[in-house]
Amino acid sequence: MSSSVAAPADPVGAVLPEAGARRSRWSALSSSPSLRVIGKRLLIAIPVLWGVTFTTFLVLNMLPGDAASALLGINATHAEIQALSRKLHLNEPVLVRYWRWLSAAVRGNLGTSLASGQSVSSILAHRLPVTFELVAYAIVITLVVSLPAAILAARRPGGVFDRLSMVVSMSGLSIAQFVLALLLILLLAVTFPILPAAGWVPFTQSVGGNLKHLTLPALTIGFPLACFYTRLLRADLLEQMRSEDYIVTARAKGLGTWRILTRHALRNSVVGLLTVIGLNLATLLGYTVIVEEIFSLPGIGQELLTAIGDRDAPLVEGIVLVFAAAVVLVNLVTDLTYGVLDPRIRHGRSPI
Amino acid sequence: MAVLPSEPILSVKETDELAPAAFESYRWRPRAGSLGVWIPGLVVLALLFACFLWPLIYKIPSPVRGSILESNLPIGSPGHILGTDTVGDDIMSRILYGGRVSFEVAAAVQAIGLVLGGLVGIFAGFVGGVREAFVMRILDVLIAFPAIVLVLAIVDGLGASELHVIWGLCVFSVPAFARVSRAATLRLREQTFVLAAGLSGSKRTRIIFKHVVPNVLPQLITFALLGSGVVIILEATLSFFGYGIPLPGPSWGNMIAQGAALMSVYPRLVLVPSAFLFVTVVALNSLGDGLRARWGVER
Repeated sequence: MSSSVAAPADPVGAVLPEAGARRSRWSALSSSPSLRVIGKRLLIAIPVLWGVTFTTFLVLNMLPGDAASALLGINATHAEIQALSRKLHLNEPVLVRYWRWLSAAVRGNLGTSLASGQSVSSILAHRLPVTFELVAYAIVITLVVSLPAAILAARRPGGVFDRLSMVVSMSGLSIAQFVLALLLILLLAVTFPILPAAGWVPFTQSVGGNLKHLTLPALTIGFPLACFYTRLLRADLLEQMRSEDYIVTARAKGLGTWRILTRHALRNSVVGLLTVIGLNLATLLGYTVIVEEIFSLPGIGQELLTAIGDRDAPLVEGIVLVFAAAVVLVNLVTDLTYGVLDPRIRHGRSPI
Repeated sequence: MAVLPSEPILSVKETDELAPAAFESYRWRPRAGSLGVWIPGLVVLALLFACFLWPLIYKIPSPVRGSILESNLPIGSPGHILGTDTVGDDIMSRILYGGRVSFEVAAAVQAIGLVLGGLVGIFAGFVGGVREAFVMRILDVLIAFPAIVLVLAIVDGLGASELHVIWGLCVFSVPAFARVSRAATLRLREQTFVLAAGLSGSKRTRIIFKHVVPNVLPQLITFALLGSGVVIILEATLSFFGYGIPLPGPSWGNMIAQGAALMSVYPRLVLVPSAFLFVTVVALNSLGDGLRARWGVER
C-alpha cells in the first residue's frame, strides 16, 4: 500500500499532468460544500420559477375580463375587441400562448407589454432601480433599529427596556402598512412638513432629494419589519444565553454579559435572523406594491397594479418572474453567508 | 412494517433545570400568566359583541344613506357618538358594521385555511415520500410568490366583494397552514404513541384523526388566531385600494380611504377607523401570543 503513495496511482495524471491537475481542481470544486449548495439550490429554483410563471398565466387567463376589453374601455364595440384580440393573439388557447411566452423567455426575450407596446425588459430596467433602492433602504432601517434594540432588550430580560421594546414592537407588528403610511404623512409631511409625502427624484439628479423622497416609504416598510426582527432576535438571544454551553465557557473565561452577547450569542443568532430575512423577501416585495402606490413612487410594484388591471399578461409575467427570481437568489445568498458566519457549516458539517 | 425507533425510548431529556445557569438573570422567563390571555380575550369579546350583537339590541343609525344635511358632525354630536363623515353617514355605525365585515372575513379565511391547509399538511407530513415532495414543491411555489399579486389578480378579476376577498385571501392562508401542520406532523410521526398506534394495527386514517389531529390542533388554532390579525389588515388594505368591500358598503379600509383625501382637514376620519383596526389587531395578536405561551406551543 505504501507504494501507491510513492508512485501516483493515477495513470492519466502521470502521463498528462495538466489534465490531472485540472481534474483534481474540478473534484475539489465539486466537493466544496458551498458550491454544492449553489448547484442544488439553482436546480430547485428552476421548477419553482416555472411554477410561479405558469400559475400566474393560468390565474390571469381564468379570470373574467381580458386585455383587449380592458385596453379599449367600456365603449368599444364587439368587432373592435375581436380585432384587437386577434392582433394580440388573445384568441389562441392558453397553453399555446404560455408556450410562446415561455420559449421566448428562456431565450431572454420577455416580450412586449400589451398595453404600451414597450418591451417588458426596458420597462423593468426603468422601474427596478426604484424598487431596489426602496427595499435596500428599508432593510438598512430595519437592521439599524432591530439589532441594537434586540441586544439592549436581551441584556436585561424583564427589565424596563425589554418590556418597553416588547410593547413598541407589538404595536409595530399590529399596525397596517397603509395606516402607518398615512400617519407618517400626517405627522411628518402635513403637521411638521419635514419630508415630502409623494413623488420621486432620481438618484443621478440629486442624492439628497432622492433619499428624502424615499425616507417615508422606507420607514413604512422598515418599521414593522424592525419590530418583527427585534422580537425574533431577542427571543433567540435569550435562548442562546439560557441553554448553550459555549456561553458557560465564555462566562467561565470571565467575560462580561455585554461582550458575551455581542461577540458570542449574536453571531449565532444572526444566522437564524438572516434566514428569516431571506424568507420574508416575498412578503416585503408585496409591501412595495402597497407603499409605492400610496407614495406614488414609479417602481415596479405600481407598474404591477396597472398591469394586473389591464390583464397585461407579458408585463405581469415579467414582474412576477423578477420577484420570484429575487426571492430565490436572496435565499441562496443567505445560505452561503451561513458559511461565513458559522465555521461549523463552512467546514462541511452542513445542516443544509 | 414499522421500524423501531433508533434512539432509546427512555432517554433523559435535558431540561432547563438541569442546564447550567451561566447567568442568574437569564433564569427570568415571562410568566405564562392568565392576564396575557384574559385582557386581550376580553377586548376581542367586547369588539365581537359590539359588532354583532349591539346593533340587534340597540337601535343605531344606518351605516349608509345618511343625510347630507348632517355631514361632518364632530365627535360627540347628539345621536352620532363619533360624528358623521363627509356624506353624512354615522361613523360609529359604519365602524360596527365594518368590524363585522372584518371579523367575518378573518373567520372565513382562517377556517378555510385551517381545514384545507391543515389536512393537506398532515397528509403530506404523514405519508412522506413522493407525494409529500409533490405537495411541498407546490407550496414552495406559492411561498416564493409575492402572494399579494395573486390576491390582487383574483379580487380584481372577480370584482370587489366580501366573498371574493375571502377567496383571494385564502391564497395566503392555505399554504401557511399546510406548512405549519406538516412540520408539526413530522415531529409527531416520530413519537412513541403514534408508533404504538401503528403497531397495534390502527388504520392510517384512524391514526391521523385520533392521534395526529388532536395534537396538531392547538398549534393550528393559535396560528389561526395570530394570523387573523394579518387577515384583518389585508382585508382593510384591499378595501383601502378599492379591491375589497365596495362603497357605500362599510369597511374600515374604505372608511380610511374615504378619509385620506381630507386627512389634513378632518384627521378623525382616518384616525377613528385606524384606531379600531389597530386595537383589534393588537388584541388578536396578544391573545395568540398569550395562548401560545400558555399551551407551550412553538412558533
